[in-house]
Amino acid sequence: MAPFAGFEMPVQYADGALKEYQAVRDGKAGIFDISHMGQVRVSGPDALAFLQHVTTNDVSKLVDGQAQYSALLNDSGTFIDDITAYRLLESEYYLCINAANRHKDVAHLQAEAAGFSVTVEDESDATTLLALQGGEAQTILQETTSANLENIGYYRFKQVEFCGGTAIVSRTGYTGEDGFELYLPNSAATQVWQMLLDGGAVPIGLAARDMLRTEMGYALYGHEISDQVTPAEAGLMWITKLGKGEFIGREAVLARKKSGPARRLIGLRLTGRGIPREHYPVVCDSKPVGEITSGMYSPLAGCGVGLAYVGTDVADSENFAVDIRGKHIAAERVKPPFVRSNVRR
Amino acid sequence: MSIPAELKYAKEHEWLRIEGDEAVFGISAHAQEALGDIVFVELPEVGRSFDSEESIGVVESVKAVSDVYAPVAGEITGINEALESSPELVNSDPYGKGWIARFKLAEGADLSELMDAGAYQAYLEE
Repeated sequence: MAPFAGFEMPVQYADGALKEYQAVRDGKAGIFDISHMGQVRVSGPDALAFLQHVTTNDVSKLVDGQAQYSALLNDSGTFIDDITAYRLLESEYYLCINAANRHKDVAHLQAEAAGFSVTVEDESDATTLLALQGGEAQTILQETTSANLENIGYYRFKQVEFCGGTAIVSRTGYTGEDGFELYLPNSAATQVWQMLLDGGAVPIGLAARDMLRTEMGYALYGHEISDQVTPAEAGLMWITKLGKGEFIGREAVLARKKSGPARRLIGLRLTGRGIPREHYPVVCDSKPVGEITSGMYSPLAGCGVGLAYVGTDVADSENFAVDIRGKHIAAERVKPPFVRSNVRR
Repeated sequence: MSIPAELKYAKEHEWLRIEGDEAVFGISAHAQEALGDIVFVELPEVGRSFDSEESIGVVESVKAVSDVYAPVAGEITGINEALESSPELVNSDPYGKGWIARFKLAEGADLSELMDAGAYQAYLEE
């Protein structure tokens, strides 16, 4: 167990991180207790206009029952957080935010809400978030509910009755496999967890969760993104809709886009033996050009893989290496994901 | 936790099997269990001389990077190349197929700091 954002988090369960990883990647299913993540409900007649103002993605594109990956930026155009926004109604939305950023995010949202007819409620303490991920996720979850899960598309959700409470069940995740995330009232949490275990899901700790997301090249706040990083650097312009109109950070992002980002996030796949780890220096033509933000041994790829920030001037280069304990281990630049994604498109 | 009686143990959780003027070593069952799933082993080069407590290799688990320290002074005479493709042998058979290297004991190498199985057991219980 390890402490994180006020929670005691399991790093791994009894069988170890590799077996957990394999349960998710090999077509079975894993269950993740990610209740540490925060949830915020935004409701009121100005909910849409408010979210257009505070988030980067185009909230007007959402229909009821649809979710989108998005971000909160500050005036400097750097990340306050990355989030998932769920549209319940045109006047009611649900945001999932990072645990470590919860209080900062809620304070920011409440301060920005001043000019809008909206209510911002922090529901984190009342909410349990479980993720069920892997090839068997739908089969296992369908055993526990009469709601038709098959017709929930990728980044779509339904509100479903579970053990006496209403849950948001979305086809989303952080693993690159098909699966669901379940936002549950705390009162239903242990019963649903047990039902999913009984259905054959394997509990997954933080270590395997990090392996699964790194193999997909998904950003993690504090590693790939932070209040020092802009969307263009992080490769997240696809969630930053400059054409939608005003939003916090837009001017700074535009200015940065004009001057060109100083560094860029790239994927590296080691061709020599070794495992890239966070903060290991990246070299190009033997000169230091950046550092690893997340790295791992990928059992599926059979080699070390990592994400790294490097100077824009060398970002398209081919001659990368990672400095591992003083040895330069050759690496090829690849566009993540490092292994095939099996999410349902 | 398995602690074979015929082996010697160092404080950094390496084991040592002395065979004349040579020794074979690896990491203990306790060490591999604490590290978790081992996914990479960096072996020393054959011919390398080292002092006691010098880092002569690295084992990496999913989350952690750990040095392997020389239990006594010596010179590497052989390495377990199987670990390059199957590092998990350190988990599954730490005292057998998971051995790390073989070395020639340095002249006058000090073995007095090494623990026997009983002393290592007591050390783990501290």
